[in-house]
Amino acid sequence: MIEHGPLLERLLAGEFICAISDESAFRKLEDGDVREQIDTYLRPLNRRLASNEDRSVHFLAWRQLNEDAREQLSRQLGDTVNSLLPLLEWLQLVQEALGQDALAAPGDVLKPAEFSARCEDNQSLRERLERLATDPFFGSQSEQLDAQMKQVFKRLKEHGYLLQPHADRQVYLVTGKIDYLVELVRFIRDEESLPVDDEAPARQESLL
Amino acid sequence: MSEEHTLESRLMATGTERLSLLGRYADVLMQGYSRDEVPLEPLTDGALRKLLAARILWRPDEHGAVKLTPKVRELIAEMLADETRRHVNADVGETLEQIRNLVQSYREAVNRGEHYQQGPLMLRLRQEVDDLNGRFADAIDSLWQRLNSDFGFVSRLNDKIRENDRAQKQIVRLLDGMALIDFEELIELVGSDGSLRKLLISQLQQQLSLHYTNLREVQGRLIELMARFRQQQQQSRLVAGMAAFLREHPGFIPGNYTRRSEVPELFNRASPLQAAGSVALDHHHDSDTIASLLHALPVAVHRPEIVEAAGPAQVEEPSLVEARQQALKQDVERFYLDVVDRGAAPDGRPGDVSALEYLADSELEWDQEIWLFQVIAEYQGLPREEQRAFRLIPEESPAGPFNDVQLIHDVSLVLAV
Repeated sequence: MIEHGPLLERLLAGEFICAISDESAFRKLEDGDVREQIDTYLRPLNRRLASNEDRSVHFLAWRQLNEDAREQLSRQLGDTVNSLLPLLEWLQLVQEALGQDALAAPGDVLKPAEFSARCEDNQSLRERLERLATDPFFGSQSEQLDAQMKQVFKRLKEHGYLLQPHADRQVYLVTGKIDYLVELVRFIRDEESLPVDDEAPARQESLL
Repeated sequence: MSEEHTLESRLMATGTERLSLLGRYADVLMQGYSRDEVPLEPLTDGALRKLLAARILWRPDEHGAVKLTPKVRELIAEMLADETRRHVNADVGETLEQIRNLVQSYREAVNRGEHYQQGPLMLRLRQEVDDLNGRFADAIDSLWQRLNSDFGFVSRLNDKIRENDRAQKQIVRLLDGMALIDFEELIELVGSDGSLRKLLISQLQQQLSLHYTNLREVQGRLIELMARFRQQQQQSRLVAGMAAFLREHPGFIPGNYTRRSEVPELFNRASPLQAAGSVALDHHHDSDTIASLLHALPVAVHRPEIVEAAGPAQVEEPSLVEARQQALKQDVERFYLDVVDRGAAPDGRPGDVSALEYLADSELEWDQEIWLFQVIAEYQGLPREEQRAFRLIPEESPAGPFNDVQLIHDVSLVLAV
């Protein structure tokens, strides 16, 4: 168990482990034996390992759902729902600012300076960033574009959606938690039967 | 024989001449490649005529613009590995027909003993087989290029999906073409001829099986990539759709999934737990480690100002504390003035006044110790001249029979004049 100490600590601290945030830890967690060992260790702490559907991120779940745990999960759900729109709008903003038609994916490199430059050149992007940055979730108090951008990235890093490999360099990596977020959205859509379509209008048939 | 030679040398001469046209007008031809039509200004009438005769250029209609012929366009695309325009020629049937005919002619020439015919026929056969082989190799090369660049030559996801689809269709056509090559038939066709057998059976079979493996590999990868493209497309639609929905329904609250008997996995995230640790001295063998850690600690440099700044008295409600300090000082000053007054009274003589007695008499609420401290501090704070006017007599005793520390119980102040 000793070799898993640092990993356990990170999991217990509420971190999401993905191939981007910690590749070697992520590989370990793909091993059934290791998962079992960790689960055994976590049993007295009423926790167990959990993963998203794609198994691209791992985190800790309650083993037994007592009243306190449900209370905490319920509060957490509320926070998640409140943060949903700002996060989705951020994803869209990234997509549009970079002129991509796919979402930011785990492992993508994002540079705040690059975004600032794009937003400076484009009034509509600038306004959207402004709205986003001052949303309570991101909570920027500044009117400066750079400061707003910095705050947005800072909050995303705090929430584990981004990773900053070098503390002194403004370069960020998208983590696997984005996958978790998208799955969460899909789950809510399906569960609430929301009129949100993700299929292409004219679907081409695969050949095989 | 000599007729053959003249034909060949004439072909050689014309071929060389026409190939060199490609080089001489490379600039104009590339402009024709990158645009829709070939610019005519740089070309003389003679040059244009030669290029048309060599079927490098053609005129789709009488009065229209001059364009590159499809073969030249294809050649350039092939040379540049320009995936937007590279074509895959999967027409195996035609080539097979050619090969069959050539084999027949060759075998007839052998049977008739016409040796001079055999050489050229064999050459053409070899070229046909090379063509067939090269066509698969080119197609596979083009497919890998597109795959490895993630279809980077088109930027939109929709285009990538269409391109991937097209590539997959090409593979199916290539595989269909490959299936037309029936080795049983070829074996029968070549009969017992050694060189034909080598060319059409062993060599071709080996090459084709390699191409087949390659094509299957590319196909698998293309399907994977397609799945990824589709997933990306779905995700981005999902996010856009959900964001739009949430904007339209600001008060939207989903069901409370955490109250279900089975909480969905995604919503069961245990609260964070910090593993804290402190220095413990109950393990004797750890003490060396802890000591060395202690020694390794950087030495904190305490400057007097910092200590003062860190004093709680100044941090916690400084105004109140200052006010009390000021009041204490004033009360002590009054005590001093009282001693002076008593000494200066007409009937009075300088007598000592106990600080504690004064404290009790004047019903002040100061703590005795603080009071004594301030009385002594006030004495020491006086200028030397004024200090001489007073005498401060401490009433003290040793702290214990074996401890010589003197404890001050009271001080008396007396006017020294």
